[in-house]
Order: sequence, then structure tokens, then C-alpha cells
Amino acid sequence: MSFSHLIPPVKPATGALTLETYELTKRFGSFTAMDSVTMKVEPGTVHALLGENGAGKSTLVKCVAGFQRAEEGSIMIDGREQDIANPVIARALGIGMVYQHFTLAPGMTVAENLLLAADKVPFLVDWKAKRAELQAFLATTPFSLNLDACPADLAAGEKQKLELLKQLYLKPRLLILDEPTSVLTPQEADEVLGHIRDFARRGECTVIIITHKFREVMAYADAVTVLRKGKAVHHCRVADTTPALLALAMMGESASTADSEQKVPAAQVVPVQAAPDSIANSSTPALQVDDLHALGDRGTLAVQALSLRVMGGEILGVAGVSGNGQRELVEALVGQRTRLSGTVRVMGQPYQATRQENRALKVRSLPEEPLRNACVGDLSVAENMALRDFDQAPLAVGGVLRFPTWRARARAWIAEYGIKTQGETAPIRSLSGGNVQRAVLARELAGDINVLIAANPVFGLDFAAVAEIHSRLRKVRGRGAGVLLISEDLDELLELADRIVVMSEGRIVFETTAAAADRHVLGAHMGGGAHGEEHSIVEKAAA
Amino acid sequence: MTPDQWIALFAGIVGGALRVGTPFLFVSLGECLTEKSGRINLGLEGVLVLSAMAAFAGAYLGESAWIGVLCGALAGGLLAALHGVLCSLPRVNDVATGIALMLLGTGLAFYLGKPFIQPQAPQIPALELGGWSSSPAVQSALQINMLLPLGLALAVLLWWGFTRTRWGLLVRMAGDSANAARALGYSINGIRILATTVGGMIAGLGGASLTLFYPGSWNEGISSGQGLIAVALVIFARWSPLRCIGAAALFGGAGAIGPALQSVGVGWGYHLFNTVPYVLTLLILVLTCKPGSVAQGSPGELSSR
Amino acid sequence: MRNSLTPVALPVLAIAAALLVFGVMVAFAGVNPLEVWTLLFQGAFGSWFAWQNTLQRAAPLMLTALCVAIPARAGLVIIGGEGALVLGGLACAVVARSVPLPDGMVGSVVVCVAGALAGALWIALAGWLRQFRGINETISSLLLAYIAIGFFKHLVEGPMRDPASLNKPATNSLSEGLRIGGIAGSEVHWGLVLGVVACVVLGIWLRWSASGFAIRVVGGNLRTAQLVGLPASQLVIVACALGGACAGLAGAVEVAAVHTNANASLIAFYGYAGILVSFIARHNPIAIIPVAILFGGFGAAGSLLQRRLGLPDASVLVLQGIAFVFILASEALRDVDWKALRAKLAQLAGPAPQAPAPSPVPEGNTP
Repeated sequence: MSFSHLIPPVKPATGALTLETYELTKRFGSFTAMDSVTMKVEPGTVHALLGENGAGKSTLVKCVAGFQRAEEGSIMIDGREQDIANPVIARALGIGMVYQHFTLAPGMTVAENLLLAADKVPFLVDWKAKRAELQAFLATTPFSLNLDACPADLAAGEKQKLELLKQLYLKPRLLILDEPTSVLTPQEADEVLGHIRDFARRGECTVIIITHKFREVMAYADAVTVLRKGKAVHHCRVADTTPALLALAMMGESASTADSEQKVPAAQVVPVQAAPDSIANSSTPALQVDDLHALGDRGTLAVQALSLRVMGGEILGVAGVSGNGQRELVEALVGQRTRLSGTVRVMGQPYQATRQENRALKVRSLPEEPLRNACVGDLSVAENMALRDFDQAPLAVGGVLRFPTWRARARAWIAEYGIKTQGETAPIRSLSGGNVQRAVLARELAGDINVLIAANPVFGLDFAAVAEIHSRLRKVRGRGAGVLLISEDLDELLELADRIVVMSEGRIVFETTAAAADRHVLGAHMGGGAHGEEHSIVEKAAA
Repeated sequence: MTPDQWIALFAGIVGGALRVGTPFLFVSLGECLTEKSGRINLGLEGVLVLSAMAAFAGAYLGESAWIGVLCGALAGGLLAALHGVLCSLPRVNDVATGIALMLLGTGLAFYLGKPFIQPQAPQIPALELGGWSSSPAVQSALQINMLLPLGLALAVLLWWGFTRTRWGLLVRMAGDSANAARALGYSINGIRILATTVGGMIAGLGGASLTLFYPGSWNEGISSGQGLIAVALVIFARWSPLRCIGAAALFGGAGAIGPALQSVGVGWGYHLFNTVPYVLTLLILVLTCKPGSVAQGSPGELSSR
Repeated sequence: MRNSLTPVALPVLAIAAALLVFGVMVAFAGVNPLEVWTLLFQGAFGSWFAWQNTLQRAAPLMLTALCVAIPARAGLVIIGGEGALVLGGLACAVVARSVPLPDGMVGSVVVCVAGALAGALWIALAGWLRQFRGINETISSLLLAYIAIGFFKHLVEGPMRDPASLNKPATNSLSEGLRIGGIAGSEVHWGLVLGVVACVVLGIWLRWSASGFAIRVVGGNLRTAQLVGLPASQLVIVACALGGACAGLAGAVEVAAVHTNANASLIAFYGYAGILVSFIARHNPIAIIPVAILFGGFGAAGSLLQRRLGLPDASVLVLQGIAFVFILASEALRDVDWKALRAKLAQLAGPAPQAPAPSPVPEGNTP
């Protein structure tokens, strides 16, 4: 038990703080998420936390930010131990956290969002004074946003900046950022990280960044801690290390597959024999989209005049920052969203995503967030695996369902794909993310395929699952299917795709072959750099 | 029909708009507040009936209309609080709870209200605005409920409060994005329970106006769906308290067509005219809702069903 | 406690709790709760007369509950069964009056089908409005119910009125040959069989047929259903039509078997009680059978409570409301891991199970 409540409160300090943890441990039932983590973050530095999914990074920062309490170990701020029991105490200590998921109120204005984020919201709000105050605050940052806009109308990058502003408004002493650049273009990412680094270097704040991008760690961080399976396995200064060393620390024994700069070929990925253009035979594209229009959720066009073409035996990668219409595009293609106009053809035939067409034209899909989009959570694994063909023999005879057949096939697939589950009758929502994706894969990849539409298929999965899924995608291409791969991870696309197009604001704005792809050119197009000024944002030059 | 009859009909509709619209106004304001916080309360029908009975009982037993109004508000608040608490439990469906409360509130009201069906209770005094006219129909039409100015003031207060006070902003945030509110450390359930309860109290005022002004007595047919129409009213008013005023007037007028016609001797189609508010609501929903997209101005959390 | 027991145990516990609270409530009114409980049981199941009353009420309850259950499996919350019921009754009376029908079973079947059709169309409208206009089906089905009732009253008191019915407006009575009689001479009419058959058939259909499974997929996750190419809108409307047909059938049977004509007492709130029954049965058609019988029993006991104890007949409504509230609250308990809870309580009572790990200042929550 901590005795800090007996010590009279110290006057609140300002400026960057020192953070230390000593043997911090957190368990969830029998699972140890964080195991005796000891680390030190120097004041005024940018400290990166590296590790794959499930390594314990989120748990660590949640304990520091007060969202969870560790079972054992301690946290020390400026050398004094603190019991951070809830986010309010964390806030009082000057700890702020910017999440991966947006915590903005989409229907309220930017000014209201910022006001509510402040420590004390006055009972009666004097908007004139408050607005002046907010404008003054915005002037101290390199970003500016329209105070009267609503987050619902902002692009993902602007929303992320607003999240950051919300925390900066509170003048934090420790700022924790969880994957801050996942929705930003490379240019925006540089801008944001640069500002944060300057903020830290000025001694105003200490920064912890959770990231999986080596490039950002090497360019912007001062020190790194690598977590693996809940333990802190490596601490060093960025100046003393290289991406290869970091990857080694992250992965342990197995070789790294994530180093984007060097494109190290992964040992466990099965190499595909055929070269990309040897499979493409006939001139009929596997998937042809012409002039597609679709509305977004708020009534504005999310997909505008979009055209693309995927030939059999090739992987077409669609790059883009999240929120530029990719989700709506996939939904419009697979039948989850109405198409306003335009045509979609598979193997030359018109395609409206009906069940018969899916069967006849052999179209399959792997949407993102499989539990939300491709499964029925309450139904069992076997039932989910039967969704594509439950109304056909041998799964149904004369309209009557034959459950034993479903279960037998499910057992076979569970074995083949290595799905960890209590059994084929377990509800699919009891499976972990990677296993849900494997189950969906088993269903979708069965039989012949002409077109496979995949969106962020490996998001949030561990490295082994990623490698396995990538290899299966390559196999699908090898069998002659056309694969439309939509991904927010440029590295994934550069590794897998034969051709890459960039989607920005609902349109295809750029196309290149994989061989000729240049990350910076792609990044420029992803940010909409090709067409003029952006809406409601005026960027000052990066500091 | 003679000109006198036309005037009488017109006056009847306007009067109806004022009389019938008053409970509509209160109930829709209450539901507006509840929905702004991200919760839908379909049990308002039960709240309305229960608070109507409580108001009547309170006025009768306390021998003062204002005591009755207080009782009505309290009863409404209590039942709505039950709704709020139930909905804050995990896995409990908003809609189902609302229906449960509709049944419970109505049942309780009928059960406890049996002794109050015959007697008379002191009524809320009326504001006579029709003194300038010589026609008795116009005069009676313009006798408005003293609660009506209160309701109008309440609408303005809510509209102002939603942007200018801490509580108003918090309610909007809880309704717009539960994530945002939670991230800032606020208790979503606390805000919603409070908003639902206050909404219930406001709706209770509407119940009081039913039994203590017009029709002015308690019986088991006192309400026929006004609580439910309020939900559609709020959608129609696009969650703005000021627009609720106009919507309530419109619906009150529509609901008064049947009785107004009867009063000038036209008896045909009484039941059909009574369906006008429901048909109107449905029509408005057809015109304003679009599949798949979110209505403009709707609190983000409401459509996450 | 095994998890498979919980779905049954919880509703039973909830109803028991509701009875308890009801007993307390009537105690305040000066009535002995034990008497109330005994009378409830007596009035529902105590004698053959009581049983007949119960079963007579259970029949329409089963059908109106299906009107909630089938659309619920497709993901909708439809509460307008009352409207479908009255329209079904109206259709039955109208068809009987206007179309020359043969006596006997064929005629009865025809008027029942007419009722079912009317109900099916009305609820299918609510489904259509949801799929193609984005209107919340709970609100629209309720509005449609009120509109149907208004329409019903207008016709019954106006154009379709039997001139001989002076005090209580009603349509012309059905001819003797079309009426549905009791089973084996009892008061329990064949409508009960229809109700049970409907529940069983639909239960089997939902579980074992391809189209039933398709409906469950749509109800389980609409996006997934769209992804695998299921025609979601059509399936939703079919589910609504089936539910509405059941409610319409209930109305037709009430007219043909109980009232022999369409009049205002058709509006007996079976529609709303059906909502309750369906939720308690967790929208499972087979489970609806026992639950409907239970609530039919409550309704039958209500008049006994009134006669013997002077309790207003609304008291049964209160009991139903309390039961519904408890059932909903018990849903929240469904996910509680009882084993873990017991272990935690045991830990609080006894010593900590493991030796504390060496650390300077052990942090953390008390177990």
C-alpha cells in the first residue's frame, strides 16, 4: 500500500517530468500482460515503445495513464512514487494520452471539443472570451483548425491533429501517443512528430510514443524500449542502434519481416514460383470498376468516379490514408453499400454482389474487422464457416440443413489453418482476432476463386499470422485469381502488390508498378498533394 | 357550413393546438433531453400516464393544483430514473426497457388510480387570452394552460443551455460520442441517468397538464400514444428544443381536428380524424429519414443500434 | 452453475422475484400476499374451468408473441402486433360478410387466411419502411398499430356496422358454420392448436431450414449477411410478413371463435402482452408455448383476483410490467461468470492464496 496520502501535497510542478517504472506487472486472470517491466524515461526526451501486438505496450501506458492498475511494481514520477489509480489522478500529475481511436465528439464543434477537454469547464460558458483563448492557444502550434468545424467533416489527419491539440491544451508534462501517425500521410506524420520532438526538446514535456515503424523511431526518438511478450527485453539510445537490431530484439529468434527500409525477405514466407506477369493470360480483367460513385455515411460522396482494373494473377494494391473512401469502396463492391452509379464487372459479367453471382463468378472477400463485417458473433465457428454455401448440397439437402456435415468440414479447416479454438461449436466471438481472421480465410479461400477483395487483412495481428496470411494471398494469386488488396500499410503493399494505385478523397489519383514505386511519391499523392489546397486546414511550414 | 361554424372550427383547431399541444411540448422536450444524452426512452407513454394519475391524485389529496403538478413531475422523474438505471446495466436493450416501462407505468397508473376516476380535482388556472373576441368559440380556444408559458420558457432554456452551460455540453457529448466522454473521465451512465430522469420530470409536467387542465379528469383512456408520438416529434424537430415548439403545435392541431369537427356537428370520420397525428408522424418520418445515412443533427450514439 | 442452465434459470428467477414484489405491493393495499399467490395459481391452473380460461387466453398470446419473435430473429423490434390483430379480425368479419363461403372447415380456413393476410401486409409494411426508408421499425409499427385501430373503430362503428348492434357497435356476426368451435366440446377453441402448431413449425423452420438460417444470419449481423450475398431486405420483409400473419391469424381466430363478430373488445392488449411473452421466451418460438400459457394464466387469474380480493384488474398488468422489468434486468446477469465470482468472494473471506512477490511497495487492488 502506498503512503503518499500522508505526505502533504507538493505544489504542482511544471515542465517535462521523469518517468520510471520498477518491476511493473499486470495480469488479467491467468494471462500476464506485463511482466516486471523496469524502464526509465529521461525528461525532455522522446522515448519510443516498440513491440508487436500483444507485447504489452498498451498495458504499460494504460497503467501509467491511470486506466489500469498494476498488480505489482511501482511507477515513479520525478523520483517520487505515485499511485495512479485513475485517469483523473494521472491528469493532475500532468500525464496526457492520445489514443489510436478517436475520442472526439463528431457532432460538436472543434471549439466545444477543446473546451470540454480542459481541466475545469466553467458552469456558464463565455464563448467570446473562450474563443479568443482558444485562438491564442492554436497560434502556439504549427497546426490550425477551424473552430466551428465539426470533426464529422474533418479528414482523418485533421482529426488526429485535433486529438493531439486536446492534450496539448492541457499543458502536459508527460505525453503518451499511441500509434499517432497511423492515419497520417508520411508528410503529415513528419510534421506532427517534428513538432512533438521540438516540444520535448524545449523541456516542456516528456514524450512516449508507441509505434511499430522503425523509420519514425530512428528519425524522431531519443531512446527506445522494446517489449516482447510482456517483458522489457531491450533498452538503448537511438543513436546506438539500427533497425535490424531493433527488429531482432522485437522478434527474438525469428528473423524480422517488418523492416521496410531494407525489404529483408522473410525466411518463413513460401516463395511464389510464378512471376507476376506470367499468370495474366486473357485480356478480360478479373475485376473491372468503371466510374463508381457511392455515398458515405453523412450524405456526401465517399467514392467518386472511381475506376480500376485487376487482371487475373495479379495483386493490385490500393494505398491511401484511412478515411479516403477505402471502406466505402469495399462496401460498395461487396454489397454492403448501395452504388449510386458506375459499373462493376467480374470476368466481363456485370456484378451486383448477389449470392448467385458470388457463386457463379467466384468472388470472395476478406473485409477489415472480420468479426464485425464477415462473421455473426453469436453463431458457432462451424456455422460461420458455412455462410457462403449453407443452402447448397452437401450442407443442405432439400432445404433442410445438415449440421454434422458443417461440423466435419469445420474440423478439417480448423486443423488445416491452425485455428485455435475450443471446438467448432464454440461461438466465433470467443476466438482471438487472428483466429477469427483465419476462420474467415478458410471459408473464403475454399475452392476456385476469380476475384478476391481484401481490406487490411492483417491489421492488428502478430507477425506469424501476418506472414501466414500474406503467403496465402500470394498463393491465391498464383492460382490465377485477381486480388484487390486495400491497405493502409504502405509497407505491406510494397511487399505484396504487383501494381499500386493511390486512393485519395474517393478517387484513384495515381498508378504505378511495384518495381517503379517510390514511397515519397506515393506519400505525396496519398496526402492529396496532387490537387491544390486542402479543405479548412492551413498548414504553416513545419518547424 | 356557415361562417360562424367555420370560425368555430378554426378556433377549435387552434384551441386544440394550444391545449393538446401543451402535453406534446413537455413530453417532446423531455424526450429531446433524454435523446441528446444518447438514450431513447420509449416508456414515455407509461411516464405520461403515471404522472397524469399522480398529478390528479396529488391535486385531489392536496387540494391544490400546483401540488398535483409537483407530484406529476416527481412520478415522471422516478419512472424515468428506473428506465435510466435499467438501461445502464450491461446487455440491456433500450427499446425493450422502454416497452417494459410503458406497460409498468400504465399498469401502475390504472392500479393505483382506480379510486380517482370519479372525483374532481382542483384544476390549473387558465390564462384568458381571448377576451378581445366576442365569439365564445374563440374565447374558449384561447384559454391557455398556465403551464404553457412555462413550457415555452423551458424550451428556450434547454436550447440556450445546450451550448452555453457545462451540463448542456456534457449531455451533448455523452450523446454524441460515448468514447469522448469516457476518455475525459466522465461517467456516461451518470450523465444519461440524470438526463433521463430530468426528461421524465419534464414529461411529467405534460401528464399533469392532461389531468389538471385538459381534459381535466383522470380515466384510463387519458393518453393514446402521445408518449410515443413524442419520439417521432423529436426526430421531426431534429433534436432542437426550439423546433419542438413548432412540432408540438402542429401535432396538437392535427389531433384536434376530430373533436373540433364533432363540436360543429360533423360526426363522420371521428376515428379517422383521430389517426391524423399518427399518419402525419409517419409521413414526416418517410420524408425525413433516408436508409443508411444518419439524420442531420442526430446524436451520434442513438444510431448505434 | 453450468452456463446452459442460466438461460432457463434466470427468467424463472425473475418471474419469482416479480411475484414476490407483487405480493409486497398488494400487502400495502391490505391484502395478504399468500392469498394473492394462491389465488393466482388457482385462477390460472386450479380447476378445469381455470385451465380453459388460461388456454383460451394463451392461444392469441402465442400468435402475437410470434409477431414479435420472428422479426426479432431477423434483427427487428416490432411492437405493432395489436394493429395486425385488429386488422386480422376485421378482415375475417368482412370476408365472412361479403364473400359467400361454404360452411364448415373450408370456410373457417378461408376467413382465417384472410385475417393472416391482412396482418401480414400490415407488418410487412413496417419492414418495408425500415429497409427502404430507414424508419425505425419500433416506432413505425406502433404508429401503424394506432392507425389500424382508428381505421378499425371507424369501420366497425360506421360502414360495416351491424344495424342490430345498438349498444355496442359490431359487425355482422359470422354465420354458425364459419365459427371455430371448441376442442372436443370444451371451451378451448381450435385456435390453441393453431397457436401451438405455428410455434412448432416456425421453431423448426428457423432452426433447420436454409431460409430460416438465412433469417438468423440477417438478424445476427446484417453486414455479414450482405457480404455473403443474402437478400437482406427481402428476408426482413418475409420475416415481418410471417410475424404479421400470425398476429392477423390471432385476430381472425378471436373473431371466429370467441366474439363471433368484430367489435371494440377485440382490442384487448394481446398485442402488447405478446411483446412481453416473446422477450421472456428470448424470441424462441418453442419457448413461447410455455410462457404464453403462464401469462394466459396470469390473465385468467386477474378476474379472480378482482372478484375475491377486490383488486383492480389492472393489477395483473402491473405484475406483467414488474416481470418484464426483472427479466430485462436479469439479462445483465447472464454474462456473470459465477465461478469467478464465488472464487472472489471466497478470497475475500479467507487468506490470500499465494505468497506475496518480493517488491518494494506492493501496489494494486485488493482482491
